[in-house]
Amino acid sequence: MLRVHGLNSYYGRAHILQDLSFDVAAGEVLVLLGRNGAGKSTTMKSLIGLVRPATGTIRLADRDIAGQEPFRIARAGLGYVPEERRIFADLTVAENLEVGRQKPRPGLLPWTEARLFALFPNLGPMRDRLGCRMSGGEQQMLSIARTLMGNPGMILLDEPSEGLSPLIVEQMAHTIVALKQEGVTVLLAEQNLHFAARVADRAVVIEKGRIAWSGSIAALQQDETARAQYLSV
Amino acid sequence: MDVVLLQLLTGLSGASSLFLVAAGLTVIFGVTRVVNFSHGSLCMLGAYIGWTILTHLPRDPAWFVAGVLLTAAATGLIGMALEMTLLRRVYRAPELFQLLATFGVVLMVQDITQWIWGAEDLPLPRGRWLRGGVEILGGRFPIYDLALIGVGPLVLGLLWLLFTRTRWGTLVRAATFDREMVSALGVDQRMLFTSVFALGAALAGLGGALGLPQASANLNIDLTVITDAFVVVVVGGLGSLVGAFLASILIGVLQAFGVLLLPQATLVLAFLVMAVVLVLRPNGLLGKAQATARSASIACLVRPAPTALKLFAMAALLVAITAPFWTEPFLLSVLTEALISILFAASLHVMMGPGGMPSFGHAAWFGIGAYTVGLLVGAPLPLALPLALLVAGLIAAAFGLFVVRLSGVYLAMLTLAFAQIVWAIAFQGVSFTGGDNGLLGIRRPGWALDAGNFYWLTLGVCLGGTLLLRRILYAPLGYAIRAARDSAVRAEAIGLPTNRLRLAAFTLAGAAAGLSGGLFSYAKGSVFPTYISIGHSVDALLMVLLGGVDSISGPIVGALAYTGLYDMLLRATSLWRLVLGATIVVLVVAFPEGIAGASQRLWHRVRPT
Repeated sequence: MLRVHGLNSYYGRAHILQDLSFDVAAGEVLVLLGRNGAGKSTTMKSLIGLVRPATGTIRLADRDIAGQEPFRIARAGLGYVPEERRIFADLTVAENLEVGRQKPRPGLLPWTEARLFALFPNLGPMRDRLGCRMSGGEQQMLSIARTLMGNPGMILLDEPSEGLSPLIVEQMAHTIVALKQEGVTVLLAEQNLHFAARVADRAVVIEKGRIAWSGSIAALQQDETARAQYLSV
Repeated sequence: MDVVLLQLLTGLSGASSLFLVAAGLTVIFGVTRVVNFSHGSLCMLGAYIGWTILTHLPRDPAWFVAGVLLTAAATGLIGMALEMTLLRRVYRAPELFQLLATFGVVLMVQDITQWIWGAEDLPLPRGRWLRGGVEILGGRFPIYDLALIGVGPLVLGLLWLLFTRTRWGTLVRAATFDREMVSALGVDQRMLFTSVFALGAALAGLGGALGLPQASANLNIDLTVITDAFVVVVVGGLGSLVGAFLASILIGVLQAFGVLLLPQATLVLAFLVMAVVLVLRPNGLLGKAQATARSASIACLVRPAPTALKLFAMAALLVAITAPFWTEPFLLSVLTEALISILFAASLHVMMGPGGMPSFGHAAWFGIGAYTVGLLVGAPLPLALPLALLVAGLIAAAFGLFVVRLSGVYLAMLTLAFAQIVWAIAFQGVSFTGGDNGLLGIRRPGWALDAGNFYWLTLGVCLGGTLLLRRILYAPLGYAIRAARDSAVRAEAIGLPTNRLRLAAFTLAGAAAGLSGGLFSYAKGSVFPTYISIGHSVDALLMVLLGGVDSISGPIVGALAYTGLYDMLLRATSLWRLVLGATIVVLVVAFPEGIAGASQRLWHRVRPT
């Protein structure tokens, strides 16, 4: 689905991502693990085009998207759910979803408001509520739902569990599993290994902008040295 | 009673025209975050295009409506072309550069309009229906004005439907809030921006065309309309349509009664309202606080000049000092003006660069200094000149108390309002300022009558003043001022009184500008209200931005380049506004960091550190 090769990104002169290469298979949930500042969010932003990568190739379903504008990448079928959620505060839930709406994609059952309200039961009753009057968990749900309205074949989820209550985190895990069952490929950025282990198939650990470890999530859970070295705070 | 009602109706019909133009401005600002100075020019184009279309159509109401709508569409297309060729390239540039680029468009449109339609006012031949009136409480009220009253609310309603009931409107509102996220969701921002700009331009054109029956198409529409529209938009709150509507009614009605009650103060009234509103509600009536985290890049600390630059500066200084021995008198007077411009530009730099306060009315301080000298007839120069500095500094300190609480566009607009008030006092206070005729016969003392001596005096005062400003900026006070600019919260947290620091920068800038104004009075021997005009404030901005805001060498280079360019253009071509405007646009697109900034970058590329 997604093949990243030799990705390098800079903020000004700071070399943030250094030669990242990884693949995400269709229908898979891959988790990008790493501490604060390791480069997880920058990877996500480089993939969607909000940060322009200096070098490297990014192929989405055999189409080169590296260096393209975000709206073209999104239309190519890559959805992005930012860490800060970035809900349009002055717009209602229904309007937020409308902004995300794009044409149906061949081979995918198109997402509708009704299907999304079934996936996120909390959102249905607050259809006309303004984005600024929602709790953090509700905003996170809406942010994912809004991205799904674009019918992406793959979505980037940047720390969806961050700052949420355990109950909502639980719900979020169910959602990701449900998305996987729908056939959506997921690249998840996380700091929380327990959450990641519940939903992901494979893990890529990054440290200071480089890939430090990769393998199945089960292998990571058994590899205590890797966990201590790259993930413990 | 009937007089009050009729005046109220007049005010409301004026409010409708105001609203159309202001609505376009506020919608464009909301999405693109560009304060479009050329919006008044689009309105002026609407008036001229409308004149051409309407004079070719039968004179009855249905054709009038069709012609006006056609004009709006044409202006919309012009706006679209403008956005696609120019504005699109400056969205990422700093706010003031955008303002400057659109001001370049203002200059160009002025010359193009004059070239196509000529300098004469073009009144619209009025059909019989346009001359009709209705009886209201015994008075006769023009039927056209009455119809116009309905246009404002009608357009507001249509815009409301457009923005809340269509996908396009939803996308626009989303983009107003977070453009980047909208594009990450697959929306092509360029289409959105272009269409928004076209809509705003069409509204401006509509306003221009609808104003035709009341006033002819003329070349002053652009600046008159843009200042009024700025006032309305700022009073209403940037980006708020309903706010713009309320503000246009407030200003329109106030102006209608102002003409009746205080004819001498009409010019001041609107700006006074704006100043009061901004002091009470810093974001306008219905505006929301602007996100301050716009500038991602904090200006780097400028390193000391390389040796080569120092040598070059010494050589330039030597040339400057010896100038009276080898130049002709005309060139000497141009050089004297250039020196005064250096101090004027450097004072604005203090405010804008390190102070972080963009000013759109810096000419006010220059004018106060100039009029101080002009009004102190008979006072000796060594007394009058320091007084020019003192008076401007004191007034700046008093006015600054209100200014430093604002930021960004609102601050720029409040300074503009103040400059317009000062200008209006100079223009309408005929009894003591001489009004339009100015104050003449300002005499220099005997020793300074000689052009060379006066040149040396100017050189000493202006370069001395500029170097002193530079010294202050690199003293602890200057560092504290910059800290307050870069992060007010952190500066407060380490115990810096940020508002007082901003006030210090503001006062310093005002005083230095006053001194340059005083010198200018002596150089010219006269003082005119044009010293305080918007055009003169823009001159200062151009100098600073041309040179670059990041170091004091910027305003010096900028002032010299601008004075030279201006003088050359004025002599070389009658279409100097077209050339100057185009030059500004090209410079902004090519060198968003100014001449000094660009040459610094080139220097470092040639000789890596």
